[in-house]
Parts: sequence; structure tokens; C-alpha cells
Amino acid sequence: MELCRKNDLEEGQARGFTVAGFDRKIILVRRDGRIRAYRDACPHYSAGTPMAWKTDAYLNGARTHLVCHAHGAQFDIDTGKCVSGPCLGQSLTAIPVTINQSGGIEIAAQTEGEESV
Amino acid sequence: MNIIGPDYLVFGVDDIAACTEFLTAFGLEPVNLTENGGLFAALDGTGIIVRHKNDPDLPAALPNGAMLRQQVYGVRTDADIVAIADELAKDRKVHRLADGTIETTDDLGFALKFQITVRKQLDMPAEKINAPGAPAQRAPNELGVWDDMPAKPRTLSHNVLFVPDMEAATGFYCNRLGFVITDELQGAGPFLRPKANDDHHTLFFIRTPEHMKGMEHLAFHMGGPTELMVAGTRLMNKGFESFWGPGRHKFGSNWFWYFKSPLGCNVEYDADMDKHDDSWVARQRPISPEASQMFLLQFREKWIPGPGPKP
Repeated sequence: MELCRKNDLEEGQARGFTVAGFDRKIILVRRDGRIRAYRDACPHYSAGTPMAWKTDAYLNGARTHLVCHAHGAQFDIDTGKCVSGPCLGQSLTAIPVTINQSGGIEIAAQTEGEESV
Repeated sequence: MNIIGPDYLVFGVDDIAACTEFLTAFGLEPVNLTENGGLFAALDGTGIIVRHKNDPDLPAALPNGAMLRQQVYGVRTDADIVAIADELAKDRKVHRLADGTIETTDDLGFALKFQITVRKQLDMPAEKINAPGAPAQRAPNELGVWDDMPAKPRTLSHNVLFVPDMEAATGFYCNRLGFVITDELQGAGPFLRPKANDDHHTLFFIRTPEHMKGMEHLAFHMGGPTELMVAGTRLMNKGFESFWGPGRHKFGSNWFWYFKSPLGCNVEYDADMDKHDDSWVARQRPISPEASQMFLLQFREKWIPGPGPKP
């Protein structure tokens, strides 16, 4: 399933998508040209709580980190690891995504031959 | 020491524009707002002060970089400030400022300020309800809800701190500043009420590791559960995100609805909190979902089971 076009995710932008089969939104974030995807679930509490303070507001002011806006936990965008805040050292759940031939960002299917990002 | 409660909570943030958007939508009034921040006030003048985290006028940040930079307590009179200064100067530096306020830190390193309270006396009705068996609170033809009804935060209610040393925190606020414990959620921490405020709590502690030290949430009192529901619904309809609620707590009996924020903590609407006096005997309950709330609801988009088939 295509979440959005690559061109619809700007540098320094994060967006949340409701995806069939996932109980939480999937966050897409683009930084330094790289696209990462994570489950919208902060590991501070065991159930994992959604992180934005309003729709798509997942980043800090400098747009250098993903943030859980319940208690300010900051996550490295490349690795998903919490570098400050309640869940220090824990990580977001990464979701593999691929770019399809028409430039759409998709959750990676378990098939070979697709470009991995 | 007639401490009334928090007048202001001061934050050093990395995104003043985001905080302005959130706090304004929450219903607070910007006062002297510039690109460097300002005060966001409830109806009685209490509120949140937001500055950029690198603002040199802010008290130093905690080592972990927490956004909470100072708790400003309102007291009744100059004599209360003198009494607090004399007590705390026994074992720490107390800075006496030219405007008569004092600044210091608590035993955990949280920056504190004490001032004659800025709280304006409000003269507003509580939410009025009608119930069989009791005199009607609303007059004939007086409506309970209407589309553009006001739902503004009335006053800063309480704040909750993540603290690594519960004994130090409780000891400081109770033994040095005269707070009393109203109830305790065992495994989390105690609810505290200052001497000159009969609200169930203006302060609550949650025990955490050192790296979490900071603000867990802060709350504003609304005029009643309907205002709380209306204000929260308006936030949800604008795309703001709920953290917990709406619901009603057991300890304190207050309705609650918590929203995530760009302030590094949750921000809560509360309503209809219990009042206590010194005859109250604190309860203890192990923390659990059941102990924490009488009921918990979840927002959904408006829906109607109709209109059904046309005649």
C-alpha cells in the first residue's frame, strides 16, 4: 500500500499515516534525503502511546529529532533510538519501506527485487 | 507560610511558535507576546511563561535539559515571603529581588520563585445543573449548552513533577513550605496541598529515574465538566492530540483530559476537584488503572444513528 508520493514528503518533514493492518499510525520522516518509517508508539509506556501534539507534529523545533510530545522524549531520526527523555536507550519500532517504480513510498512487502531505502 | 499555589510555570522551549499555537488553542490569552515568548494567561492571570531555551534571563536548566525552568508560587502577603526566605536561607542561597520576590531552588534542584500572588479574584458561576429532587440551578429558559459557549481555563490548578528522590521532594515541600499530603497513590507518589489552598492538590510527585526529572504535566481548572468536554472537543476538532481522557479521577474527584504539547509535558483540563481542610485523613491506594479513575472515555467524531429511511 502506498502511503504517499516521495515528493509529498519534504526534507525535514514528518507525516503520520493510518495503514490497514497496523494498530497505530506509521510515521514517515525525511531528513538529509533519507526516508525512515516508524510505528507511532512511544516506548515510555508498555502499550506505546502516539507521539504528535497535533496532526503530523512529530518533530522538535529544529527538526533534528522525532519527539514524543507527552513527555518530550527525543528520538534519533536515523536509528529511532531515544537519546533523551523517559525512554532513554529504548527505540521506536522501525517499519521497512520501499520506493516503488512510480515514486510512491510503500511499506516493504516480503518480496525481493524492490529498492530498499 | 500562606502559599496559594502556582502563579506561573516557566518553560524554556525550542519552538515558541508551536507553543504559541498550542497554548492559544488551549484557551489561554497571550500577554506581552513577542518572538521571544511571553505569558499565556488563564482568566485569573495565572499561566504559562514561555521563553526560548537559550534565553539568558531564564533560570538554569536541569542537567537533563528539561523544559521546565521555574515554578513561581503565589503567596498572600509580604510577611509570607519573608517567612519563606528566612526558612530557606538556613541551608541555601535565597536571592531577594528588587521587586520583593525571592528566588531559590528546592532540594531536587528545581528553580522556585515566590511572589505576592497575581491571581485576580474571579466572580463567575460554576457550571449549573438541574436534577430532580434539588432546586433547579438554571432559571427557566436558561440553556445548558450553546454552540459558541465559552470554555476558557480559569486558573492554574496543579503541576506534577517527575522526581528521583521522593523523600527529599516530600520532605522539602511539607516540612519546609507547609504543604500537606491529601492522598497517596502508592508506587507513584503523594498529592500535596499548600496551606492557603483547599484544592485536593496543587502538586503531585511521580517517582522516576534521575534522567526523567522534570514536568510530567500541568493543569488548569475549568468551570465544570461541560466546559472541559467542550474545550477538549474543540482541540480534537482542530487536530490536536489527546493523551489521556476525558475521564474522572478518584483521588481529587476531578474530571480530566490531558493533551500532548510542545512544552515537553502533557497539559490538562481539569474540573470539579474536591476541597479539603486539615481534618482530612490521607488515603493510600496502590496505583492501578482502577485506582486512578472512576471512568475513562475516548473521543470520537460526532455521529448520529439517523436519519433513517425517508417516509
